[in-house]
Amino acid sequence: MDNASHLSVIVDLSPTQWHLSSQSDNTHPLSLKDFLSQLLAFLNMHIASKHENTLAVFGAFPGKSVMLYSSTDPLQHNRTIDANSYPPFRVVDYSVMQHIMEEIDALGEPEDEVPCALVGAVTKALCYINRISHPSTSSNPADNPAVLPDPRMLILSVSPDLSTSYIPIMNSIFSAQKLKVTIDVCKIYGPDTVFLQQAAHLTGGSYIYLERRDALLQYLIMSHLPPPSIRNVLSVPTQDRIDFRAACFCHKDIIDIGFVCSVCLSIFCKPVPVCTTCRTKFPMKTLQRLNASRPPQTLTPVNGSTVANGSAIGTPRSAGTPMAASLR
Amino acid sequence: MPAKDIDFMDVDSDSDISLPAEETSRSKGKGKGKAVAKPKKTKGKGKANEQAYTWEASYTRSWDTVQEDAGGNLQGAVEDWMARDRRRRLLAPAGAIRRTIIRHLILLLDLSSSMMDRDMRPTRFDLTLQYAREFITEWFDQNPLGQIGVVGMRAGIGERIGEMSGNPQDILRAIADRHKLEPIGEPSLQNAIEMARSTMSHLPTHSSREILIIFGSLTTCDPGNIHDTLDDCVKNRIRISVVALAAEMKICRELCDKTGGQFGVAMNEGHFKDLMFELVPPPAQNTLSRTPGAGAVNPAADLMMMGFPTRLPDTSPPSLCVCHSELKSEGFLCPRCLAKVCDVPTDCDICGLMIVSSPHLARSYHHLFPVKPYEAVTALVDVSDSTSACHACARILPTTQSTSTAAEGISPFGRYRCPDCHNDFCTECDVFVHDVVHCCPGCGK
Repeated sequence: MDNASHLSVIVDLSPTQWHLSSQSDNTHPLSLKDFLSQLLAFLNMHIASKHENTLAVFGAFPGKSVMLYSSTDPLQHNRTIDANSYPPFRVVDYSVMQHIMEEIDALGEPEDEVPCALVGAVTKALCYINRISHPSTSSNPADNPAVLPDPRMLILSVSPDLSTSYIPIMNSIFSAQKLKVTIDVCKIYGPDTVFLQQAAHLTGGSYIYLERRDALLQYLIMSHLPPPSIRNVLSVPTQDRIDFRAACFCHKDIIDIGFVCSVCLSIFCKPVPVCTTCRTKFPMKTLQRLNASRPPQTLTPVNGSTVANGSAIGTPRSAGTPMAASLR
Repeated sequence: MPAKDIDFMDVDSDSDISLPAEETSRSKGKGKGKAVAKPKKTKGKGKANEQAYTWEASYTRSWDTVQEDAGGNLQGAVEDWMARDRRRRLLAPAGAIRRTIIRHLILLLDLSSSMMDRDMRPTRFDLTLQYAREFITEWFDQNPLGQIGVVGMRAGIGERIGEMSGNPQDILRAIADRHKLEPIGEPSLQNAIEMARSTMSHLPTHSSREILIIFGSLTTCDPGNIHDTLDDCVKNRIRISVVALAAEMKICRELCDKTGGQFGVAMNEGHFKDLMFELVPPPAQNTLSRTPGAGAVNPAADLMMMGFPTRLPDTSPPSLCVCHSELKSEGFLCPRCLAKVCDVPTDCDICGLMIVSSPHLARSYHHLFPVKPYEAVTALVDVSDSTSACHACARILPTTQSTSTAAEGISPFGRYRCPDCHNDFCTECDVFVHDVVHCCPGCGK
């Protein structure tokens, strides 16, 4: 018998993106309402599949991330128990819906919408997983004493990549690797996100791009419900196309061979005398040596192979900008 | 690793630890981030002066040193100690420090007969191997672009145990078999350092060259003048750090002082591990001050040529890799010579180009932009106004002051506030955010 598993679901609840997703000119429109009903069915299924399974749900709202539900501290509510529903399901459904309602009501005017706090939600989920996996040190003795063997995370994303969040996202991915948390990603709407593709790849999870949005529940059940230990015998889609090549900070070209500043790790496509990010001056001798040894094909940065499989840009240009402020 | 060693770390007066100022506090956290509470020797700072070296201690009744609280629980004492330990790490300077990102380290293991001493259990040798394994794993986690080599000192000669490599598995395999490393004879510091030095002599100036010596003997048997070797190391900018297991030797102290390394004598098992793990975070660059007038060209800064490889998927036709000559489908293609290597980061075996992938570069960024330390909340000005649960993990935060005596930098409420987003976090999350995630859940950066 396999072990109990913990699932942290991160729901991207960007009002703009969900509005776009529900437009009827999409091939398969999916409204937030339909999405939530399918999501709740999935959450119930996770709880029902094993008694010891635990669940936490986090919502990423514009500029804010909120914990919607967690098994360890369920919301106290004094509603009468419905005789027709299983109480644990009811608690999850009520708690998630209630929190989402509250947050959406509290949202400001749509025109000043800030990007979704996906990073905040992911780090919160990591902190929560850290908390439940070390129950001995927690202050609350009522916490579940059993150490959970395989925590995992499911990100339901609708927003596009936010290039300013590159470094925090990567940091979260590395800490997930350290905690042995598998990150699954289900991209419901919008273009592929490179950051989340990398997250799924680096933590051994699966990244799924929904082709038929109306079949969301089926995708969730088939590829995200079974814990990673069972997935070996199922054939969960893998991704072959992720490209870990980097883009240079100067022209945003994807490059094969780059020149990297040893101080701040900025990437350039040709030898430069001064680092544009941290303003370090490089020795003349190095420049001459590098110019001499430079392979001829990098003179034309966009070559055939780059276009053919250059689907992803590893390092966005803006990843470099905060460095200029902190390192002079 | 956890409880028992901590008393020593506060005391400067009677210990042999000498650390450069900026390294002291920041480095502590890693080894103990997820410390499991052992109630052994958990007492306050005041008692630390009475602590003896392992070999001087006679019989410790560790259970006597723990204070029970009113309810007869140890929980309070343990937590109090842990909170204090964790907070101290945050007293590091918050400003941006230039750190050496590309590191090269030679681990010099003493394999002389003195390593069979049993003053550290089970033996010095076994303990060293065990800590070396943990050290290597942790080191590569924090320095993904670094390389480690292993050299042993045995029977009067230096012995190459593991070649300089960027792959932790290779190095762990090199020290995996303890029967091949069986300690024998006298150690020779000079021979071993010379061997390490020659391994690193070709390295470029922007990378650090470091030697970490684990030294258990009290003698060294050298063919020549070791001070000449020391001068050469200074000239080559090799930083030597020594962790001595027996006692302080003048030459060891001198090696460290002249090359800018750290010297420490391990007093017991836990302290030994601490001394080693202090070398895990990348060192601050100290070469900046050497060119005060010019200021223009920093010798430690350089432009490095790196290749970003193409990853071959599992479904590609199998071919032989250049590193192990094995038939595999997955792998990485060197962008310059199109040789296929199994793992990155590495130096291409054919053309010598440094091959990295962008996540490896990203992994080093957190050293460059650390999370701001949280402020300890010492007074709840308005209880009704402040949030009741930790912003990150939703654990309920206590609103009553804990009974233990509050020390500097520790919140009596177990509540720590981010200076940017003004959210409150619990002790656990404070440590977790700063040690592991490197990203504040409130501000998202």
